[in-house]
Amino acid sequence: MKHVVIIVILVIACTFLIHTGLTNIGLLPAEASTQSVEIDRLFGVHIWLVSALFSLIMVVMLYSLIVFRRRKGETGDGAYITGNTTLEVLWTAIPLLAVIILAYIGGKSLGIIRRIDPSAMQVKVISGQWFWRYQYPDYGVTTTDLYLPVGRQIKLEMTSNDVLHSFWVPEFRVKQDLVPGRTTELRITPTLIGDYKVRCAELCGASHAYMEGLVRVVSQGDFDKWISEQQSAAPMDPVLRGQQLAQQLGCSNCHSVDGSKKTGPTWLHLYQSEVELSDGSSVEADDNYLKTSIVNSNLQVVAGYSANVMPNFADLLDQTEVESLVVYIKTLK
Amino acid sequence: MEHQNKSSALQLGLLVFGALAVLTAVEFALALTINLWQFLVIIALIKAGLVLYYYMHISRLFEADMDTNHESYAYKLSTNRMGLWLFLLSDLFIFGGLLLSRVNLLGLTRPDLDQVVGLTVTSILLISSFFANRAEVSMEYGDRRQFIISIAITISLGILFLVGVLGVEWGLVPFGPGDNIHSAVFYVMTGFHAFHVFTGVIFLAIVLRNGMHGLYSTEKHWAVEASVVYWHFVDVVWFFFYPALYLIGTMAK
Amino acid sequence: MRKFISLGLVRGLIWQIVGTALGIGILTGIRLLIGLPAWKPESAFVFGALLGAMFFLYGVGVLDDWIKLASGKEISEHIDESRLGWRRYFGASLDHKVIGIQYLTLALILMSVGGTFALIFRSELADTGMQFLTLMEYNTLMSLHGMVMIVGILIGIAAFMNYLVPMLIGARDMAFPRLNAFAFWLAVPAGIILLSSMALGGFDTGWTGYPPLSARAPIGMQMFFLGVSLAGFSTILGSLNIIVTAIRLRAPRMTPFRMPIFIWASIATSIISLTATQLIGLSFQMVMFQRLFGMGFFDPGKGGNPILFQHLFWFYSHPAVYVFVLPGLGLISEMLPVFARKPLFGYKWVAISSIAIALIGFLVWGHHMFASGMAEYLRVPFMYSTLLVAVPTGVKFFSWLGTLWRGKITYETPMLFLLAGIVVFLFGGLTGPPNATVSTDLHLTDTYFIVGHFHDTMFGGYVFPFFAGIYYWFPKMTGRRLNEKLGKLQFWLMAPAFIVLSLEMMKVGMLGMRRRIADYDPALQFVSENQIMTVAAFLIALGVLIFFINVFWSIRKGEVATGNVWNSRSPEWQVASPMPMHNYEKPFEVVGEPYDYGLPGSVYVKFKESE
Repeated sequence: MKHVVIIVILVIACTFLIHTGLTNIGLLPAEASTQSVEIDRLFGVHIWLVSALFSLIMVVMLYSLIVFRRRKGETGDGAYITGNTTLEVLWTAIPLLAVIILAYIGGKSLGIIRRIDPSAMQVKVISGQWFWRYQYPDYGVTTTDLYLPVGRQIKLEMTSNDVLHSFWVPEFRVKQDLVPGRTTELRITPTLIGDYKVRCAELCGASHAYMEGLVRVVSQGDFDKWISEQQSAAPMDPVLRGQQLAQQLGCSNCHSVDGSKKTGPTWLHLYQSEVELSDGSSVEADDNYLKTSIVNSNLQVVAGYSANVMPNFADLLDQTEVESLVVYIKTLK
Repeated sequence: MEHQNKSSALQLGLLVFGALAVLTAVEFALALTINLWQFLVIIALIKAGLVLYYYMHISRLFEADMDTNHESYAYKLSTNRMGLWLFLLSDLFIFGGLLLSRVNLLGLTRPDLDQVVGLTVTSILLISSFFANRAEVSMEYGDRRQFIISIAITISLGILFLVGVLGVEWGLVPFGPGDNIHSAVFYVMTGFHAFHVFTGVIFLAIVLRNGMHGLYSTEKHWAVEASVVYWHFVDVVWFFFYPALYLIGTMAK
Repeated sequence: MRKFISLGLVRGLIWQIVGTALGIGILTGIRLLIGLPAWKPESAFVFGALLGAMFFLYGVGVLDDWIKLASGKEISEHIDESRLGWRRYFGASLDHKVIGIQYLTLALILMSVGGTFALIFRSELADTGMQFLTLMEYNTLMSLHGMVMIVGILIGIAAFMNYLVPMLIGARDMAFPRLNAFAFWLAVPAGIILLSSMALGGFDTGWTGYPPLSARAPIGMQMFFLGVSLAGFSTILGSLNIIVTAIRLRAPRMTPFRMPIFIWASIATSIISLTATQLIGLSFQMVMFQRLFGMGFFDPGKGGNPILFQHLFWFYSHPAVYVFVLPGLGLISEMLPVFARKPLFGYKWVAISSIAIALIGFLVWGHHMFASGMAEYLRVPFMYSTLLVAVPTGVKFFSWLGTLWRGKITYETPMLFLLAGIVVFLFGGLTGPPNATVSTDLHLTDTYFIVGHFHDTMFGGYVFPFFAGIYYWFPKMTGRRLNEKLGKLQFWLMAPAFIVLSLEMMKVGMLGMRRRIADYDPALQFVSENQIMTVAAFLIALGVLIFFINVFWSIRKGEVATGNVWNSRSPEWQVASPMPMHNYEKPFEVVGEPYDYGLPGSVYVKFKESE
């Protein structure tokens, strides 16, 4: 039938037209990781599918709307066609096969982006309202910027201090939520040196839009240089170290040092003061008290404040870090 | 199912109760000995099946209509029945969601609860179901007196159940709702269930009052059927909630 | 004044105010009695709002008959409401057509409110930096836009299902008219409570209300949870009614495959909303309990699991989207044959496809959680099931093409909206697979691409068919036609503007614009796209405004249309418009197929001459 021939030609033409259009308007950010390359490849498959299916349906539809419209003066109804079992079976079975194949391809793609490199570098990510902090356990460094050596797989082990957040650098493509109370994992192999932004991708409260941080991919040499800078910048003086940690880990978001009341009790004059707890008892804020407050705050909730708000820092800090915080708090008189 | 006469119908009700009681005893014994959740779930399913078929007479849903006139009482009765069962189906999803939450949050642990109280309230509810069935059967065979007595007993046992759970168990437990995950799950499950027991008691009380005023007959007693079927549903839910809270798994520290 | 207060709605509102105050008082009193500090605003407002809703229901009059039944009194089966005139629409009516129009009015109000919220925050987003909203205001408006629209859609589909189902099957009314009235009027205080969140500090979680954020949001969060729970309950009862009506009250010889296709769509929709809705209620109530009683279901500090919430929530909320679109897709299938003058192609397959979509739709919820931290092994099965849904959906598209092919097509306003529905739903459907394959989804999730995808599916599967349906059945409701010129103007404003809007959304999403953000980095260079989106939003709003003008004008001055305006075979068009009080004075029986257009001499229904 001449209808079918015209339609086939139009569909093929339209498919190529749309595909060319979609692939040339720059719909994706730069590919800056091995994961991006794989994901963009799969996007490519989807774009072909979208172009073809869109063309097929739109061409047939528009063709019908034009060719089979009622002309002026025409009476009567359309052709009496109630269905066609062969067509129905075909357009059920073929899509069924297609989606199974697509799902299979999708599964393989997932396997590729989740490929584990046993020599991956570990970076711990701690998020909270509304900050990002990174710890490099191999180097004993805590920073607010994420520096990554190019070409090496990074294993991000992530958690949140408070609500759900999500780690996303569009150029890396993959994203992963950060969940309080558990550690989630993301593997990225950056391939392009440059500066990127990580932006939180799970609504986390008022300043969600502004929760961003610098991600800088550098050469291995530059990375090593930066690490040693960070290590030497870490103050040897425990008081200064504690002060720096308090800043970096968000303690100051809830605990003031000037006496003002925030989400948590103020640290000013805290050491050796008499503290009334929520169960009515009274304790002296000695060294032990301060230590317990950091690693197991729920054991001794101060009267007038809520339990289960302060995150558990037991897993995030080591002994010396806890001690330096205690030492710092003791200086706040 | 059609019965030959009232006494065989009542006898069947007693027999089913007997089976349920035995199964509950077996369930308890199993929990004390080989505490395998699979066995306990299977027993719960068997109990539920018995109640669904014999007490809630679910097969009536699938009976063909004698009268196809949409305005006839018989047709409307079947329509009402379908509405009731769809309502129960919907309600089932809440309890299903609660059960799944319990599994996700507690796994193979369970809260620290008093087993004597647990078995007692379970038995009370089971016996109340027996009397609910007795009430409905009596009404079906026109025995108004027996109907009234049985409904009144059902209501009393229902109230006793509420006292047992909300009064005794909630009072005995060593935790408050906000203490830990076991307490939270315990309170939300028993709370939702108790709310349904409470509404069931209200429903039955209305039916009792109207029954005493002679509103129901052998031919027309939809409210009796509805309230009793709802009551059995609440009992069926407890068949699953009881092992989920009291029997399955090991007590959390 | 007397007459004003006699209106059910007014009495309901008065009682709601009384109930709210009483609830606040009672809760404060109880706290005093058990020795707690008296004033805890959150508990007081939650209890007050709940009691207020219950008192509203009493005040509006939907409980009267049930109270009578409970007290052993007789209630009349057949009530003549016509003597009330227009007042019927403002109180408890038992007539499904009145209730349908009440639902329709409420839906249009909610859509306008939700749409206005969008216009406000789209204005804010037209440029970087915060222009006139605070961050919390933005988050509240954005979140409410989502949920108010969702509730609006649920109400809108209830409008069509309640109005049409009894008429299409030849019944005089729904199986449970009083339940119908109750379900409608429950939605009114539910909506009020939902909107009252703005007065209680708002909330900043988006319409999904995820804890832990929702556990620490302002009190407005509780109004959100409560309002949605009540609206959900309304949906559940409404869908129960639809299923029973469709199964039990069909005309003689209307076998399942001789029902109008919209009945199949309504049954499939109602199966989902009857059952799955309970889960969003449960998940929301669990957060309410976490806030009120410290029950730490989703608090890791207490052994809770934030991801459990997402499982419970999405177990409903994914099937919910099929609730949103199945009726509209059913409307397309219902009306397309009329305008193409051809049978619905493959009717049986289309009927089954609705059921298939509903059932498969229960198995895909995890695709909203690919990045959530849920167990990794779950991702692949959910990807398979998600892609599977495309198959029955494709069957519908191909059927529509088959229906148009070799038809005799005309382009009245309803048809234009149907075609827009098909095209836009196609956009929505085709942007599904990139979200379904996990690796690509990890880039797309939580971006504007998703926002574009679901706006496409919502406009295509609901909004455009909804307007098509209104233009189509307006004569049946009122005896007059809506103005064609204004209708076409509305169409040419809304459809192109919306398509541009959704394309821009998908573009910025892929390029890195996250969703739910009050502000965006100028360095991303999304300003012009956002400006276009804002302009498009206003054009859509203009289209809706023209629609309202059309309605208000046409109700009084529209072209009189009391006959079979569309030359449809469907039973409701074989009787005069507006539809008579109990629909069909003379009952009919089915003697042919519903969509045998083009078969000379064939008839679908035949009316009985004598009773």
